[in-house]
Amino acid sequence: MTREERAELLAAATPDELLPLAERLLQSGDLGEPTVLHPPEVGMVMLTVREPVAEERFHLGEVLVTSCTVEVAGAAGWSMRGGDDRVAALAAALLDAAAAAGLPAARDVHALCAAVAERRAREDAAEWAEVSTTRVAFEELT
Amino acid sequence: MGYSGASGGHEAVLAAEKLVERRRYGGASAWLGIDQITGRLGLAVDRVMGEGGLWAPELAARALRQAEGDVQEAAQLIRAHRSTVPRVAYSEPVHADELRISRRISPAFRNPPGSQLLGRTLDYVGRLLDLMPEDQARARLQAADPSPEPVPAAHDLTANGHPTANDHVTANGHPTANDHVTGNGHEAGGHDGGAHGDPRRPPRLLRLLRSMGMVVDRRTEGDPEPYDITRAPIRPGVPRSARLTAMARAETGALVHLWYANTFQPGRHNHEFPGEVRHGALPVRVRHPLTGAPVTVTEVRVTEVETIDDLDRAEEDRSRLDLGYGMCFGHNERKAIAMAGLDLLVHRDAGRTGVEQEVLLTLDGIEASGFLEHLKLPHYVDFRSVLDRKRAVRAAMEEAVAR
Repeated sequence: MTREERAELLAAATPDELLPLAERLLQSGDLGEPTVLHPPEVGMVMLTVREPVAEERFHLGEVLVTSCTVEVAGAAGWSMRGGDDRVAALAAALLDAAAAAGLPAARDVHALCAAVAERRAREDAAEWAEVSTTRVAFEELT
Repeated sequence: MGYSGASGGHEAVLAAEKLVERRRYGGASAWLGIDQITGRLGLAVDRVMGEGGLWAPELAARALRQAEGDVQEAAQLIRAHRSTVPRVAYSEPVHADELRISRRISPAFRNPPGSQLLGRTLDYVGRLLDLMPEDQARARLQAADPSPEPVPAAHDLTANGHPTANDHVTANGHPTANDHVTGNGHEAGGHDGGAHGDPRRPPRLLRLLRSMGMVVDRRTEGDPEPYDITRAPIRPGVPRSARLTAMARAETGALVHLWYANTFQPGRHNHEFPGEVRHGALPVRVRHPLTGAPVTVTEVRVTEVETIDDLDRAEEDRSRLDLGYGMCFGHNERKAIAMAGLDLLVHRDAGRTGVEQEVLLTLDGIEASGFLEHLKLPHYVDFRSVLDRKRAVRAAMEEAVAR
């Protein structure tokens, strides 16, 4: 799993998926003494889209995000997630750092990411199963 | 002093605010939760985000509740809030082809590359007010099946009941303009989203039209930086990217009205045809600060429309068609269709009329309603000067008559 894939899955995890693991690792001391380099900050990302007619870029609008950077055992951890949940952004950054530092807890982080990927695939398949019932092929009247 | 020329009334102002709050936060009905608003009034939430210019479903729901359902007021609250939040990044450009569809139709083309996916829509059925008694409506909620059984086969809405997904050639063996075959008889594009590619990212009708040589090619070599209307003012003559951003956060009703006023005119008997109407999810990617590689941090839902119109003016290439483009946050097809129509209208107008100015400067709901709302504030000095002018004119007229 690349660093970007891990960041994407930690961004897609729900707070219910992130917080129990982060809290357990903090309380058990597995993360040592984490340093918060940039506390959770709510901000906006301007979403730029390339449209297909002239293949031009334009700004569609802004998206609310929360980002955070921490350090665990000398390794930096970063997260950016949609929305304004500061606690979840902090938890995601801590778990990213734990994985980056190669701590034993990295196994738990990888397992969490795998579970998130599986859930997303399941949700995607369920949504497609639902909407694909509305596929249609119109026939030309002759 | 400004417009007003008056002060005081503080107690009445505070009492009026209290009346609003009493109804807003009190009353006998149950508290309205954010999840209820996002879950049951999703289209209103989408409109608030689109017109507020900020994708933030929970904040938009909160704004709707605070505004007691006034979409315009809620969009104003969101727009004002976004001015207090720092811009942390521009996303990596995401191509519209990456849109993961949950709905895709082509009103112009019966059998487009990929397939038509109706998704959640009432377009083809009657819409009547549901007068079911409340107790029965609640019972229906309990009984609703959250996960219906999937039916993988494509449905055929035609009368004979035969599937027609492979119906790419007409009965006489020749491809028609409405078949998924190019003018020279070859299948368009490298993949068919329905058969060989990702069915959730079907190929575009545009690609097929290009391969048939039916559309004006608007692509250019350069890749100009998009214009950021949140950082620089918009005036006629700005790049098209500014126009698209302005319309993406325009007020839906204003867009529809301007499109309608320009389309439904005496002597004009045709209208454009949407070639693509899509609703789905787009990834939001930024550069990872530690690796520099793109990473998806969240997704937004958008509505996207490509609309096709005939080129019929003397100075246009009358052997081809041209396209307009619309995309907005959330599910709002009226907005995206009107946006695409106006995008093409302004392009074809080429500055001849004032339509570009109208698109750029009159469609923002926050600006328009802000100007309108200010009319309710005291204008005592202004109006007194109007009366004074009238008195002066009248005196001059009476003096002239007397002479």
